[in-house]
Amino acid sequence: MTDFLLHTIWIIPLYGLLGAILTLPWSLGIIRQTGPRPAAYVNLLMTLLAFIHGTVVFNSIWTQPTQQLVFHWLKVADLDLTLAIELSPVSLGALELVSGISLLAQLYALGYMEKDWSLARFYGLMGFFEAALGGIALSDSLLLSYALLEMLTLSTYLLVGFWYAQPLVVTAARDAFLTKRVGDIILLMGLVALSSYGAGLNFSQLEAWAKTSPLPPLTSALLGLALIAGPTGKCAQFPLNLWLDEAMEGPNPAGIMRNSIVVSAGAYVLIKLQPVFTLSSISADALIILGTVTAIGTSLMAIAQIDIKRTLSHSTSAYLGLVFIAVGLGQVDIAFLLLFAHAIAKALLFMSAGSVILTTSNQNITEMGGLWSRMPATTVAFVVGGAGLVALMPMGMFWTFQRWFNGSWEVDWWLLEILLFVNALSALNITRVFRLVFLGKPQMKTRRAPEVPWPMALPMVSLTVVALLAPLAPIKWSLWLSPTTPLVLGNELIIRSAVPLLLVSGALGCLIGAGIPLRRAWARPTQVTWRFFQDLFAYDFYVDRLYQLTVVAAVSWLAKFTSWIDRYVVDGLVNLVSLATIFSGNALKYNVSGQSQFYLLTILLGVSLLLWSVLNGQWSIMTDYWSSIATQ
Amino acid sequence: MLSALILLPLLGSALIAFLPTKIEAKQTRLIALVVSVSVLVLNIVLGWRFNPELDQFQFSEYIPWVEWLGLNYHLGIDGLSLPLVFLNSLLTFIAVFSSSKSLRRPRFYYSMLLLLSAGAAGAFLAQDLLLFFLFYELEIIPLYFLIAIWGGQKRGYAAMKFLLYTTFSGILVLASFLGLVWLTGAESFDYEPLRSHSLSVTSQLLLLTPLLIGIFIKIPIFPFHTWLPDAHVEASTPISVLLAGVLLKLGTYALLRFAVGLFLEGWVVLAPWMAILAAISALYGASCAIAQKDMKKVVAYSSIAHMAYILLAASATTRLSISAAVFQMVSHGLISALLFLLVGVVYEKTGTRDVDSLRGLLNPEKGLPITGSLMILGAMASSGIPGMIGFISEFLVFRGSFPIFPVPTLFCLVGTGLTAVYFLLVINRVFFGRLTEKLSQLPPVRWTELVPAFVLTVLIVTFGLQPSWVVHWSEVQAVALLTGG
Repeated sequence: MTDFLLHTIWIIPLYGLLGAILTLPWSLGIIRQTGPRPAAYVNLLMTLLAFIHGTVVFNSIWTQPTQQLVFHWLKVADLDLTLAIELSPVSLGALELVSGISLLAQLYALGYMEKDWSLARFYGLMGFFEAALGGIALSDSLLLSYALLEMLTLSTYLLVGFWYAQPLVVTAARDAFLTKRVGDIILLMGLVALSSYGAGLNFSQLEAWAKTSPLPPLTSALLGLALIAGPTGKCAQFPLNLWLDEAMEGPNPAGIMRNSIVVSAGAYVLIKLQPVFTLSSISADALIILGTVTAIGTSLMAIAQIDIKRTLSHSTSAYLGLVFIAVGLGQVDIAFLLLFAHAIAKALLFMSAGSVILTTSNQNITEMGGLWSRMPATTVAFVVGGAGLVALMPMGMFWTFQRWFNGSWEVDWWLLEILLFVNALSALNITRVFRLVFLGKPQMKTRRAPEVPWPMALPMVSLTVVALLAPLAPIKWSLWLSPTTPLVLGNELIIRSAVPLLLVSGALGCLIGAGIPLRRAWARPTQVTWRFFQDLFAYDFYVDRLYQLTVVAAVSWLAKFTSWIDRYVVDGLVNLVSLATIFSGNALKYNVSGQSQFYLLTILLGVSLLLWSVLNGQWSIMTDYWSSIATQ
Repeated sequence: MLSALILLPLLGSALIAFLPTKIEAKQTRLIALVVSVSVLVLNIVLGWRFNPELDQFQFSEYIPWVEWLGLNYHLGIDGLSLPLVFLNSLLTFIAVFSSSKSLRRPRFYYSMLLLLSAGAAGAFLAQDLLLFFLFYELEIIPLYFLIAIWGGQKRGYAAMKFLLYTTFSGILVLASFLGLVWLTGAESFDYEPLRSHSLSVTSQLLLLTPLLIGIFIKIPIFPFHTWLPDAHVEASTPISVLLAGVLLKLGTYALLRFAVGLFLEGWVVLAPWMAILAAISALYGASCAIAQKDMKKVVAYSSIAHMAYILLAASATTRLSISAAVFQMVSHGLISALLFLLVGVVYEKTGTRDVDSLRGLLNPEKGLPITGSLMILGAMASSGIPGMIGFISEFLVFRGSFPIFPVPTLFCLVGTGLTAVYFLLVINRVFFGRLTEKLSQLPPVRWTELVPAFVLTVLIVTFGLQPSWVVHWSEVQAVALLTGG
């Protein structure tokens, strides 16, 4: 039985897809009597099935070696496209995480989206989303992963654009799609190139190929950069980071998935591609630079936001930046740990934030306060999530960070500095948001704030427990989070003062966050320098305006320009020719005068022209030319 | 068997033309439907009996005709023409099905429609250069009438432009064919014997140039494309479906069959330039599409961009890229037909295709939610989202061309990226947002109006997941095309 379940593991992503398809009768309006609820139950059931199936297989995989299931998809000429999935503790663990969080998020949505008229469509999209994510977790082929990443792009577009009647949603959905698409197209370029250079597209084949690759350095550098571009868009890294922030216009349960697992899916593919990045030091450096810029920049952006979801989404980019750095350094184990710790903590934080938003019908944290006594479960969830994210308490992120300085690799001081910076700002941000939302006096919008109903409270509390237990996972199942070797627990710390410094940074961040004066209304500081910095961070370093002025302006100018050329030059020329024909026809019709002298003159002129060419030997030019062709 | 594919619509066309005037439009439509369905069934039978492993023409039919001229009635089908013949019969059926039931002059309309289909089928099946040319020209006449009579406001201009352009294209193709027979001294215009000619590269280039210009007008490739947006905008929906889905394929079919098949050495010399031209055409079409305000024009320019990939694949001349070119033809045929159908539904219900005056059509109660959802799907298929036919066909094109022409291929990939831009702009404006007051009284869309769109959607997804069902027809033939006669 277990064996059967193991070999039918590829069905797991299909559960979600089936769920999505089964919602169609409700979302298309074929079944109206029941209301949209049954669609939600079907999806929940499917996800539950996926979770149970996954759990059974996950428990049995420990005793088995890593296996590959290969499907031959398409064979044309010399190209053989195979899709492979991997059965290993890592892939099944990732799959388990996907179905687990999806299950919780869907249960949560039952409460959150209760009054929405298109609940069925929402669940259909969530099922689709889950299917694509589950597929990425299992996939062992770059082609399959690419395809599924595109599915994610599509479903993100549809989920962000769920409330499509609102103007902000429309632009957010468009930006989310196009930003990711930029990354995806460049990734596709890399994919086409990789395949053309003779590398198989399965990750294991890629690894073997990378060891013996004969590529010139420039090509391998470009290839590496192209492959990085896809995950850069997906993980919301600079310069493709702004979509995640805008995507917060979408429904919150999708935001839970997006900020915890979807961004991780991009990083997961990146981790799988890591052997290719070793080909060129430039691609590894690019990863580190991108990660560093994003981690620092978005940490700063986060602390100036006043929208509760945006404060959290910028921090997602920051932590994914750390994952980029880890992959760039080749420390895949740490990257996995980071993703795991971050996913759990961020999902919990988003659930808590969603509860606050639903209860207060408000996202602006400056208009909140005093919720702790009214919404205890939400408050606890926020605290636990925050503690899981900040390296201060002995929770997820703390253990991850300390492992970084506890392995058998080289770690430089600059990395510690980045970690300290991100950790401090993250602590500051979480404390600041916590104070504004949960502490202080209740305001207008937070006075009547009952705790959320059970469909939301149940997943939130369960995830709180999971987050509390999460630090045990890497210790108990070390193989789960590291595909190559179990994490080595070295006795020697690489940088002796690292862990104390990390703790200090976390504490310092919390203290500053607790100490800074908070304005209850959205007011800008009076001092010019403070105001400058607050605006700079709050408006995301004005990067979006930069895009407006550069990329967007360039494309739209080019479009207008070509369209003008098309209309007036290319088509204009055609119309000019036709006008000239009509005009000359009209002019020549006066030749037809009916006077025989005129016709005689024309004939004479023609005959004399012919005679002239025959007599002067001009004729031979033409005859010679044609005969030379004919004899060839 | 093959003649039936041509004769059946031809006879149907004649029958409808000579129907008594008191027969109603509905019955005329029914006859046309029966004819197109039987052609479709015949095609399925043909596909069933076709052997994709053979690298030669099958079901050949040969009847001597005008022997002193070298013109013979010679038909045959191979992996290159089979998918296109199939596409033709499917889209003809869809075009008849989606034609309005209350047309003006229905007998003339359906008769021309079937004649058009017969002409296209004949061109795909002809194994004689002159016969191909005859069918190639035959198809222009009905299309001219179909645009000039049942078209939009500027239909006269558009139809005349189409007629002049394509006739010119036909003359150039004919000139090249005549030149080939003259230079090789062949006895007839038969395709297979002509393939084994031994012309020098210079004379091949001399013959190839007019042929290519003729083909580029038909495909169309920049800068010979300006007839297409006008024709599409003025043509009614079913005609647009046929124009984009089938008639443009005549150009690319001729490109593979004659330009590559007859003048391989000359073609290889020109190929680097052709790849660059393909990239220019793809980017040009895409960036023009971004600036358009008319939904139909967006799809039309997108057609120009997507047809350019076929030129790219053809210029790479690898086994993979030629198979990919055929696949891309099928893919573009299905996707553009779907998009034109849906734009047609929007136009019929709202009375406009102007992107600026439409808003919020996804509204589930008063808007066109299912049309909108299918439109999103079609746009995604066109932008190459995996799981649909557009992705795998474009992937094969790019994968086939990259080893030979990396830089033009990368530019074409940028064009693919731009596809998402223009379609998303349209979808965001037209379908997202709040439904305006003016649009809140739309007539409901009946299910039958969307049946063709659903059929195409199913095919797009099925072949996207199972591409080998299309590719394996033409794989062997792609090799045969490159190895010479």
